[in-house]
Amino acid sequence: MVSKIKKKTLSFQDTIFNLQKYWSKKGCVILQPYDLEVGAGTFHPATTLRSLGPKPWKTAYVQPSRRPTDGRYGDNPNRLQHYYQFQVLIKPSPKEIKKMYLNSLSSIGINHEEHDIRFVEDDWESPTLGAAGLGWEVWCDGMEVTQFTYFQQMAGVECKPVSVEITYGLERLCMFIQNKKSVFDLIWNDEGITYKDVFHQSEKEFSAYNFEYANTDNLFKIFEMLEEETKLLVEKKVSLPAYDQCLKCSHVFNILDARGVISVAQRAEYIARIRELTKSIGKVWIESQS
Amino acid sequence: MSELFVELFSEEIPAKLQINARNELKKNIKNFFIENQIKFNENFNVYSTPNRLVLHVDKIPNEIKLSSEEIRGPNVNAPEKALEGFIRSNNTMLEKIFKKNTGKGEFYFFKKESRKIKVSDLLEKNLSEILAKIAWNKSMKWANYDLYWGRPLKSILAIFNKKPLNFVFNHINSSNKTFIDKSIEEGIKIFKDFNSYSKFFRQKGILIDQDLRKKIINNKINEIINKKNLEIKQNDSLIDEIVNIVEKPVVIVCDFDKKFLNVPSEILITTMQTHQKYLPTFDKKNNLTNNFFVVSDIKDIKGFVKLGNERVIEARLSDAEFFWEKNKTQNLVKQVDKLKNINYFKGLGSYFDKIQRMRKLSSLISDDFLISKDKIEIASSICKVDLMSDLVGEFPELQGIVGGHFAKFQGFDKEVCLAVSEQYLPNGMESKLPKKMYSVALSLSDKLDSLVGFFGINLKPTSSKDPYAIRRMAISLVRLIVENETKIKLKDLIVYTCSVYRDQGYEFDTKKIQNELSDFIIERFKNYLKEKKIRQDIIESSTFLLGLDDLLKAYKKSLCLNKNIKKEIGFETIAAYKRSSNILNTEEKISIESLGFADPGLFKNDYEKKLYKKINDIRKYFLSTGKDENYEESLKILSSIKNEINDFFDNVIVNDEDIIIKKNRLELLNMLCKTFDNYLNFTKINA
Repeated sequence: MVSKIKKKTLSFQDTIFNLQKYWSKKGCVILQPYDLEVGAGTFHPATTLRSLGPKPWKTAYVQPSRRPTDGRYGDNPNRLQHYYQFQVLIKPSPKEIKKMYLNSLSSIGINHEEHDIRFVEDDWESPTLGAAGLGWEVWCDGMEVTQFTYFQQMAGVECKPVSVEITYGLERLCMFIQNKKSVFDLIWNDEGITYKDVFHQSEKEFSAYNFEYANTDNLFKIFEMLEEETKLLVEKKVSLPAYDQCLKCSHVFNILDARGVISVAQRAEYIARIRELTKSIGKVWIESQS
Repeated sequence: MSELFVELFSEEIPAKLQINARNELKKNIKNFFIENQIKFNENFNVYSTPNRLVLHVDKIPNEIKLSSEEIRGPNVNAPEKALEGFIRSNNTMLEKIFKKNTGKGEFYFFKKESRKIKVSDLLEKNLSEILAKIAWNKSMKWANYDLYWGRPLKSILAIFNKKPLNFVFNHINSSNKTFIDKSIEEGIKIFKDFNSYSKFFRQKGILIDQDLRKKIINNKINEIINKKNLEIKQNDSLIDEIVNIVEKPVVIVCDFDKKFLNVPSEILITTMQTHQKYLPTFDKKNNLTNNFFVVSDIKDIKGFVKLGNERVIEARLSDAEFFWEKNKTQNLVKQVDKLKNINYFKGLGSYFDKIQRMRKLSSLISDDFLISKDKIEIASSICKVDLMSDLVGEFPELQGIVGGHFAKFQGFDKEVCLAVSEQYLPNGMESKLPKKMYSVALSLSDKLDSLVGFFGINLKPTSSKDPYAIRRMAISLVRLIVENETKIKLKDLIVYTCSVYRDQGYEFDTKKIQNELSDFIIERFKNYLKEKKIRQDIIESSTFLLGLDDLLKAYKKSLCLNKNIKKEIGFETIAAYKRSSNILNTEEKISIESLGFADPGLFKNDYEKKLYKKINDIRKYFLSTGKDENYEESLKILSSIKNEINDFFDNVIVNDEDIIIKKNRLELLNMLCKTFDNYLNFTKINA
């Protein structure tokens, strides 16, 4: 069943370069990753906050994403607690966005005339962000490679105009392109460095931290402190610093969740608390935009 | 005669929304033609692909004739402005206006002559509104527009009688053009009619007609399974989804490594069907095989599609296999304690608390079912452990089933394994029903515990909201009792469940729960009877005397009566009862102190005596028949009173001058009614 198609494999970093170049040509502001721990590219303020308010905005960036519960100590070929997303956000959503997206796939060697590209219903919701959108997950020959979403609501506020968000799962995509069964076998660059060389130790150690060593008593306290700080900053009407504190809250919550110390009922309560923070920040941000 | 042809081109609309939109569009356009009295071919079609919603109606006249009519204007005393407005809006002049008295005053009138209207004009005027009326189950906005649609709408093609219809729908102008390529949305083509349109796409392999796509997919699959000696399982909802996520279906046979067949087949099937929308295949002995079908939306010229899909399933099945191997050896009994850390529901404790309650409940039920107490207690103890496994984390829909497989692997008793596996069944009206008593007992105790718990913390469903699917739980409970003919005392069980909660320290208002939950279950039971197509009056009657403990009896009696109501035994029974009860009802005013029986010493004639004897015979019958009552036989016996009752009414005047005799005759009729109540209360039956 192994493919014998020989051509120069696109490395992990070249995949990123190509996507950046492609979306740069489409007029996107190419940003660098946000310097805080977040669960997905969507949490970058360049998406959450910028999708709110009337001003047009186009951006693309790589975002390292952390999902503590998905850690598998580097033993599972498909699961990571830290991985990369390539995120595109355009407001208002352009008419030819599907075409733009399919052409972006061509730029990394996936020709839509040779592969079964399918837009499969997948409506998105983020309880912590108070956000919801309609769209698809994009399948390439049965593999999910992208999330494609029209934001309808963010931070509890209706989006007007509507932004479109495209999120590529870079590891998945590269495993498809490079025909690898394990994420750790991905070729990182043309010098033969693999994903394993770069990240295996990190997966192992962070899994141990997330599941075993994180000091939960302290984290509970830190959560309270960060929450308080966020509220104070909202009062002072500085949305961006407030949002930073809120992101930290969210990450602390994720680690507590991974440690298994949050019950189902508590879980809903914590999520609601973060959502309230996001909503109050969203309001302050929108005021600053008019 | 002309055709109307409309195509709405959009980004990919999900399968269910497409089906819904097709129905909506069909309904709206039909209403339009009917309301405007335009003839049309009622067997018209609405088609769709993920990107195209297509309407095609033919046999429409080009013109319709409107007969002349008098249009009433303002009252003659109204200000002049009103008259001016009336003239303007009717596009006429003062000379053509006349006055007429209507009885409610004198009004201005205008006579509109009969005239012809072009259907194309009507369509141009109304299509936008017809489209706006489509009620989407879920819709969205995009860019700067205000329009709500299933997914972004890109263009509208509208043709009548080969000519374009021009109208504006929100921000989109209709035209006679559409996009040829759904992916890149390049290449625009003009179309004149539906025929050339569907032919054009057909040549590109694109099938606009969903039924045709379905046929082609099914034919291709059948051809392959016949050749390979395989079978597939009928799965309409999956096929319908597949049909509506492709426009040019290509069936591809793929396979996965046979080693994965060691993993429980439910896991493999769920992975294929639910996650990947593949069709699994089975051999003639009904065992899952490693062949499966992928329906691609593209011809797999270079083999990429097959290869890619096989890789995906390989990765997914490796994951599942990894978890299966890891979880199956984790000792179920040793893990029970860990359930203390898992919340069942806020206010109802942990899963550990829940299984303690279930253990007591199922143990009590085991007495009625004559099954082993030890076994059902073991099943209760281990039944929720699988919730902590990686596999249920990955496949939440397989909770219970996965636990059953763990139990089997770890050598638990066969009936215990099955009970664990089936503990969530049935899940509503249509779902599969467990038949084995251990399974029924476990499922009953799970549902009872949940129902009492949710009512205890006052989370009953409201008329519009039922977020915890409590109705479905109650329906399932009813089905377990009725369809398995289990003889349990539900009332006692509810009381007992409350006491089990109390033992754990939950302070519920027991009386309130009992009343509310009884009413709730009886309501579900009535719905259940309704689903079984039982007449409403029979449903009402059957639950009038028979309560929560008699669901099975009430079900059987109403089923039997429903079946026989138009036949002689049903008809005569009701007639006898009605004749008697009608007299009793009219005589109610006299308010006789009923003794409950008639005095044979006061009988004046044979008719009374014979009726009395007959009633007593029937009473004896009901006394002698117990659990094994044959309800059809009972009806037959009731109806056999026909002659005695007819003779009685033909020859005896109830309303005797002597009040004592009259009262005695009324007592006789009252006896008859009370005796008939042994079957059910016929008062509410419409004769």
